[in-house]
Amino acid sequence: MATTLLILHGLVAVALIGAITHQALATCAPPNAKPNSFFGRFRAIPAAGFANAIVLLYLTSWLLGAVVYLYFKVDIQPTLERDRHWHAMGFLDLKEDFVVIGLGVLPAYWFCWRGTDNSQHHHLRAALTILLAFIVWWSFIVGHVMNDIRGFGS
Amino acid sequence: MPASAVRRFTFAFGAAFALFYVVARLRGLALFTVYPAQSIVLLGMHRSRDFADPVLDFLAPEMYWYGWTASAAVCALVIGLIAGLLPDRLNWFWAWCVWIIPPMAMAACVYLTIPWFRL
Repeated sequence: MATTLLILHGLVAVALIGAITHQALATCAPPNAKPNSFFGRFRAIPAAGFANAIVLLYLTSWLLGAVVYLYFKVDIQPTLERDRHWHAMGFLDLKEDFVVIGLGVLPAYWFCWRGTDNSQHHHLRAALTILLAFIVWWSFIVGHVMNDIRGFGS
Repeated sequence: MPASAVRRFTFAFGAAFALFYVVARLRGLALFTVYPAQSIVLLGMHRSRDFADPVLDFLAPEMYWYGWTASAAVCALVIGLIAGLLPDRLNWFWAWCVWIIPPMAMAACVYLTIPWFRL
């Protein structure tokens, strides 16, 4: 059960990281980027269309992670503490903190993207998108390291 | 509900959530404590070692993260609803709050995590 949930959590996270990275780059790309350049192509895609999917994927990923965390606490954490993986525990602590802060920001992020007036909240929308992108990337990397910890750096 | 009220609610909720999460984490204000090994949830914040010998703490690991999240969500909901009732002229304030407070809360969480890196 835990393995199935962890794989599902990972798959949802892959979809989420793809969507949020795409949107964040589309938001940050310079307006004068050449049409055929990498950023130009990113900007050509309507980033607002990703917002609902990102909210849904973030919530699903958080929910799956919250369930998997119960198994982690009982079955994995004692082993990590025994093996003195203190830095990994610290990074995981940060992951859980950042993810929850991102969860709280999610309604504001959704509101900023739902408006039809693109000029309104432009800076705030960019800031929240970058913040969420950072949280998702951090969580993804830490989650991967934790998943492979028995082989990582040992 | 008018869009401006939804805007105030979402912005205030995001800022308050981040702020109260850090406060809950700092002060140990968990709405409930989860004991995953026993599948038990207790209201409020409890420590295993309060009930059992400290050396047996590993048998009943406690989890506060869910409780901290719930505490922050309840407080943020209240602040968000209050913000939704306030006048439109305060919109700039909530926008600034949701811009500034979450990154500051993340920095505070980094500070609170430092002990792990000193072990």
